[in-house]
Amino acid sequence: MATLSAFLKKNEAPAASPQGADATRRMRAVRDPFQLRALPHEHLFLYNKRIDNSRLVREADPKSRGACWSAIGAACVLGVLLTSAFAPSVATTIAGYKVEALRIEERRLMEERRGLDLQEAQLLSPARLDLLARQNNLVAPSPGQVSHLEGKPQGAVAMAK
Amino acid sequence: MVERRLTVLALIVLLWGGAILKNLIKLQIVQHQEYAKRARSIQEMVVEIPAPRGSIYDREGRPLAMSLASRNVVINPMKVDVGVASDLLGQLLHLDRSELFIKIKQAAETKRGFLVVKRQISTDEYENLLHLKTRGVEWFSLAHESQRHYPNGTLAAHVLGSVDFEEHGNAGIEKGLEQELRGVPGKIRLLADVHRRGISPQTTIPAKPGVSLTLTIDERLQFVAEREIAAAVESHNAQSGSVVVMRPDTGDILAMASYPTYDPNVPMERGESQKPRMNHAYSVPFEPGSVYKVVTYSAGFETTNLRPETPINCNGGILRLGIRTIHDSHSGTWVVPAMYAFAHSSNIGAIQVGFKVGQPTMYDYMKRFGFGQKTGLPLPGESPGKVYRLEKWGKTSLASVSMGQEVSVTTVQLAQAAAAVANGGMLVKPRLVLKRNDRTESQATPVRILKPETAITMRRMMEDVVLTGTGSRARLAGYSSGGKTGSAQIYDFASKHYTHTYNGSFMGFAPVTNPQVVVVVTLNGTHGESGFGGSSAAPTFKIVTAEALRVGEVPKDLPEKLPTPTLVAKNAADLNDLALSDLERVNEDLLAEADESLVAAAPAPLSALAQGPPVAIVPAPPAPPKPQGPRVPNFRGMTMRAVLAEAAAKGLSVLPDGNGIARLQSPPPGAPLQKGERIRVQFVR
Repeated sequence: MATLSAFLKKNEAPAASPQGADATRRMRAVRDPFQLRALPHEHLFLYNKRIDNSRLVREADPKSRGACWSAIGAACVLGVLLTSAFAPSVATTIAGYKVEALRIEERRLMEERRGLDLQEAQLLSPARLDLLARQNNLVAPSPGQVSHLEGKPQGAVAMAK
Repeated sequence: MVERRLTVLALIVLLWGGAILKNLIKLQIVQHQEYAKRARSIQEMVVEIPAPRGSIYDREGRPLAMSLASRNVVINPMKVDVGVASDLLGQLLHLDRSELFIKIKQAAETKRGFLVVKRQISTDEYENLLHLKTRGVEWFSLAHESQRHYPNGTLAAHVLGSVDFEEHGNAGIEKGLEQELRGVPGKIRLLADVHRRGISPQTTIPAKPGVSLTLTIDERLQFVAEREIAAAVESHNAQSGSVVVMRPDTGDILAMASYPTYDPNVPMERGESQKPRMNHAYSVPFEPGSVYKVVTYSAGFETTNLRPETPINCNGGILRLGIRTIHDSHSGTWVVPAMYAFAHSSNIGAIQVGFKVGQPTMYDYMKRFGFGQKTGLPLPGESPGKVYRLEKWGKTSLASVSMGQEVSVTTVQLAQAAAAVANGGMLVKPRLVLKRNDRTESQATPVRILKPETAITMRRMMEDVVLTGTGSRARLAGYSSGGKTGSAQIYDFASKHYTHTYNGSFMGFAPVTNPQVVVVVTLNGTHGESGFGGSSAAPTFKIVTAEALRVGEVPKDLPEKLPTPTLVAKNAADLNDLALSDLERVNEDLLAEADESLVAAAPAPLSALAQGPPVAIVPAPPAPPKPQGPRVPNFRGMTMRAVLAEAAAKGLSVLPDGNGIARLQSPPPGAPLQKGERIRVQFVR
C-alpha cells in the first residue's frame, strides 16, 4: 500500500511538457530536498523521510522453516495424490481417443482393401483377360500343354510345352 | 439487537441451504433417471458398426461378388432451392449442372421427398461436403450404405443372382442363402467430446458379418461355358441355352451357364423382360428327347436280360401304336444290336426296351435318377421337372417316356443323371456351395441307383454314341468321351401341335474309363437339322469338356491326333436323333412338311393319348442280312498305347483290361467285326 508521502511524491511531477518538468526540478533543488510538494491551498508541509534498513538482519526462525518445508511436502504429496487419482482417468480418455481413431482407421483400411480386391478382380476377370489375349494373338493352351514346375500353388511357375 | 440480526441471517442461510438441498434431491434422486438420460444423450453417441454382406468366391478363391461401403448424397427436393442445390452439388460432385437442375426440379414437381443425387462419392467429394456441413449447410445429407459389386459383370449371373437397393437378395444364391449372406450390424456406445469425437466405447454389440461363401463354380470354366453357349445360341438362332459342368464323384457344379444373360450390377428397370434373368439350366424344364434313353437302357440292363449285343428289332424305323405311328429318324433299320440302336438313337429300339422294362419299373427308374424331384441346390425357383404319376400314364405313355417324351427335365437333372452313370451307378446330389467361411461343406451321401456293371455297360454304350453314332461331333482330341444326343420337338400348346423347333441337347462325360467331368448342353428353340443335338449341342460339349479337362489337369488317355473317322457319322443325317414320333391324324400337316430324312412327327399331348385305343404293335417285316463290318486287327504283343492308337486310327472301339502287353483279345484277329462291337484286349505284364 502506498504511503501518503509516496503518493504525493508520485504526483509531484506534472505530466505536462518537458519544460515544466525541468522547472520543477530546478525549484526542488533550491528547496529542502526532503520536502514534498505542498498541497494546494493548504499551509501544510510534508517531508519525505529516508530510512536505511540495510543493517537490519532477519532473526533466524527454525520453526517457520520447518513449517515451510512441511507445506511444500504436503503440497507435493497432494499433487502426487491428485495426479495418481486423475492420471488413469486422463490416460483412459487419451487412450479412448487413440482407440477410436485407430478403429476408424482400421475400418477405412478394411474398406480400402476391399476396394483394391474389387479392382484386382475386375482387372483379372476372364472376359478382360480373354480380350487382352485376343488382342495379343494368344491362344488358350490345349489339355496337357501346361506343366507346373513347382506344384500348383497360386503364382507358381508353369511351363507350356 | 445483534442477536436478532444474527438469527435472521441464520434463517436466511438455512432457507437458502434448504432450497439448494431440495433441488439437489430433486436433481439427484427424484429426476435422476431423466437427467441421466439427457446427459447421456448429450455426452454419448451410438455408432453403428457395419457388417458387410458376405462375399462370394469361386472354388479357387477368386471373388465373384463383394460389398463395399459407399457414401451417397441425398436431398429432399421439396425443401431445397433447386438453383442453389444444382449449382453447389453439381460443382462439388462433378455433375452436369443443367441435368441435375432438371432432375431435382422433376423430383420436386412430383413431390418426392427423397432424391439420391449421387451414389458412391469419392473421398475428396466426401471431405468437401463434410466441410460444407460444418459451415452450417444442412439441406443435404450424407447417407452411408453398402453396395454390392459383381467384378466379372455377367459371369455366373444366374448362379449369383442380384440384390435390391437395400442389399436384399432377389435372385440366385443371393436370394437362396440370404439369411447367411446378410450380416447383422453391431453398435458401439461412445462417450463423445464437444466435437462429437468418440472417446471410449461404453457398450458394444459386436457386428456379425455375413458368411462368405466359396462356390464350387470355377470362374475360368464358367467363362468358357457362357462364351460357348452364347455362341451356340446365336449361331443356331436358338431362343435360349444352358450348360452344366459337374464333377461326377463329388457332385460339384463347376459351371452353370444360361443364355440370354444379364449384368447383376445393373438393377432391373421397370418393365424390363424377365427372360434374361431366368436360369434356363435350373428353372426351365423341357422335354429331353433322346438323351432320356440313357434311363430307358439303364433300366433295361438292370431289370431285363438286355445286353449291348442283344438284337433289337427296329421294324425298319416305323412302329404303329394304335392310332399313333412312330418313326425313327433313320429309316430302314431292322434287327440291330442294342448298342447300335442306342448309338443311332433309334426311337423304336428304345420303345422296345421300354416295353421290356414295363411301366412300374420305368417309373421307378425315372425317380431313381432324380427326375420329377428338385435337386436341392440353394437357388430359388428350381423346377422339379415333370414326371406324371403312374396312374396318369396313358396307353402310349410308356413308349413316349422310353424315348424322352411326356416327361420334362432340367439341365441340372440331366447332369445329375449322367453323373450317376459316370460315377459307377452312384447318384450324387449336385453341390454348389463348397465352403461357408472356411468350413468345408460335407457331401451328401451317394445313393446307389445302378449296379456297377450296368453303369460300365452304359458308359461303353455312350462312348459308342460318340465313336460311331449321333454324337461324333463330341469327340475329343486326346480323351475318350461318352455321351448321348437329344433332339426333341417343342410342343406348341396354342396350336396343340409339335413345331419344327427343337430342344437340341447333349449330355456326356470324359474320360470314359475314369470320368472326371460331366457336361450337359441344351439349346432351346433351334431350327432344322442343324438344330439337332448332335449338330448344335455336341460341338459345344466338345469345347467345354476339353477346357474342363485342361483346367482339371486330367491326363490324356488317347493319342492327341484324331483317327480317321471310319465309323463316325459321315453326313448330317447320321447325326439325326430326332426323338419324336408322329400322330398321323392329329399332325398330318407336320408329316407333309417333314423332311424325308427325318420322318418324325409329334405325338398327341398326354391327355389325348390317354384316351387312345389299345396298343397294338405291328409285326415287323423280315430283317435284312447283317451288314459286314471291318476285320479285327491283331493287337497281340503291342502296348496299350499302341493298341489304343491303332484302334482309334481304324475307328474301332477297344475295351482294355489290365496293364502291360496285349496277350489275349476277343474277337480273335481277323474275325469280322459287327457294327458297334468292341474288342476286348487283355494286357499282362
